[in-house]
Amino acid sequence: MTAFSPRPDAAAAPALMTGAAAVVRALEDAGTDTIFGYPGGAIMPVYDALPGSKIRHVLVRHEQAAALAADAYARVTGKAGVCLATSGPGATNLVTGIANAFMDSVPLIAITGQTPTPLMGTDAFQEIDTFGITLPITKHSFVVRDAADIPAVFAEAFALATSGRPGPVLIDLPKDVTQASFPAHPYAGDAGKSGAPLPSQAMIEHAMALIEQSERPVLYIGGGVGIARAEAALRSFQARTSIPAVATLKGLGAIPTDHPDFLGMLGMHGTRAANHAVHDSDLLICTGARFDDRATGKLDTFAPGAKIIHIDADASEISKLRNADAPLAGDMAAILDALQPAAPAIKVWRETCRTNAVKWAMDYDAPGKGVFAPALLKAISERAGDKFIAACDVGQHQMWVAQHCRFSRPQAHLTSAGLGTMGYGIPAGIGALFAEPDSTVVTVTGDGSIMMNIHELATLIRYRVPLKIVLLDNAQLGMVRQWQELFFEENFSEIDLYDNPDFAELARSFGLEAFTIDRRDEVDGAIDRLLAAKGPILMHVRIDPKENVWPLVPPGASNADMMEA
Amino acid sequence: MTHRLDIDFARAEGAVLRLIGLVERKGFEVCAIDMAETGEGPARLSLSVTARDAGRRIEVLSRHVEKVYGVTAVHRHEIHSPYLERAS
Repeated sequence: MTAFSPRPDAAAAPALMTGAAAVVRALEDAGTDTIFGYPGGAIMPVYDALPGSKIRHVLVRHEQAAALAADAYARVTGKAGVCLATSGPGATNLVTGIANAFMDSVPLIAITGQTPTPLMGTDAFQEIDTFGITLPITKHSFVVRDAADIPAVFAEAFALATSGRPGPVLIDLPKDVTQASFPAHPYAGDAGKSGAPLPSQAMIEHAMALIEQSERPVLYIGGGVGIARAEAALRSFQARTSIPAVATLKGLGAIPTDHPDFLGMLGMHGTRAANHAVHDSDLLICTGARFDDRATGKLDTFAPGAKIIHIDADASEISKLRNADAPLAGDMAAILDALQPAAPAIKVWRETCRTNAVKWAMDYDAPGKGVFAPALLKAISERAGDKFIAACDVGQHQMWVAQHCRFSRPQAHLTSAGLGTMGYGIPAGIGALFAEPDSTVVTVTGDGSIMMNIHELATLIRYRVPLKIVLLDNAQLGMVRQWQELFFEENFSEIDLYDNPDFAELARSFGLEAFTIDRRDEVDGAIDRLLAAKGPILMHVRIDPKENVWPLVPPGASNADMMEA
Repeated sequence: MTHRLDIDFARAEGAVLRLIGLVERKGFEVCAIDMAETGEGPARLSLSVTARDAGRRIEVLSRHVEKVYGVTAVHRHEIHSPYLERAS
């Protein structure tokens, strides 16, 4: 059966189209050029309709990688990322990636096959309630029960995923629906995004008055700025007010990290300068951030003397954890552009913040001859320049990337922030390179994280994805070890990865170029080799197992009480 | 303190599950449920809820429910009933 079968009396009746062909057409109409997926029984009709489409399908080796790659693709492009899997275990393997997108507000379309509708609810082969399982981690979900609904459902799904606060949308496709035929018709509805209303002029003016009256204001920047693509408006606002800025993990790059008014990341592993500025502030301008516990520490000690202006696309985040004196919900760029206060008189405050930033700057002069990871990562990001994108896994290395790398834009820092998904790094690097093939994408990972999706080295080779992998190997689950050292009386439990494979040899067996270093005097040449590589490459770096991430705010403590080495 | 949320929403597969699940996940116990359909228009789900701990605010929950796709309105009422109030 062909996907598109004109009936003999085509002049009198519309041509028929299968549900599967309609899926492919709907994806094309939504502007999708790349999908990440893995076939299987229930989704087979869609795979049958894919050849000949303009859409490029990237075959991964585990469905989790499909979702994580689609997530990174979406973060870089601003478009919805698309992943495709079959029913049952295919769908459940997507769950971590869908949850990852949900926690970080990433627009994602997750398409899953399903058993035929008459078998749904009968515990059929590879039947699982994908809709029910993903209810808490999706912005919305559809089970398509009529092939004729496919054009409208997909249009609605894409609009939902990308509008307001973005998020994942699930589309579950029973096999009989994708096999059914219906009269083809173009989607003529309006599933366009609705524009968010602006706050009232009175509230805008109230916010401006707060800014003008402030003596120690701080701009607290979150991931919402990058999500809204509002960094230009934010930089313009900062330039005309000269207010010192701090960022959350996902807010890094919204103001270039080497800007003189940027004090660094705040929070648990933030800079002392950032945390003290926030603690001493009398006005916090929260832009696209949500007072997450990693950023605030003990909430009732966070910015204790500050009034709050809270700008966010999601009204439900405002005053959720900290009451806003000036709540400003709506289009972030428009709100920032509307805020035109007289520049506050904060010369002394700015100088204090800059002096503190210099006084408490990170020290890269570590003792010994081994590789010092913070210095290595700083050097890589600086030498890679403005084309640099870091795709991070989760652990100590993730914090070192956030603390020490240079980011010129939010899309340069891909990190699993809300869910903290180990295994994010390689699939994210894949997604980023399909999104921006000319970028220099470096996956920074650890010996724990890399094993979670190491099979995707095969995907790198299959598609000649020129991903540069920096593997920081301390033969430990380093962040867990650090916490056990500091907070569990050195009761080390299940953190010793003494039996790791030879990672360079493993990478070479997949077909990658790979090498190992463990001395500081090897670093310069290693970075040269890494950045010059035309194909995928793994740089395996052995580091000190006892190295910790500093500074650190202990759990339950105030951000003003940071531990140092 | 018990509150009643009257939630007007577009009927769709899973809509009720999504709303009740959200309320529970945000730290509120669902004490009573009533649902009415108003002909062709939106359905109304009435949930009586109590906070599981002191830090949960009903206005925050309301804003989360308002955000759910398909919800058109949320009306909030305090209610006092010997059957629904829990001993403190």
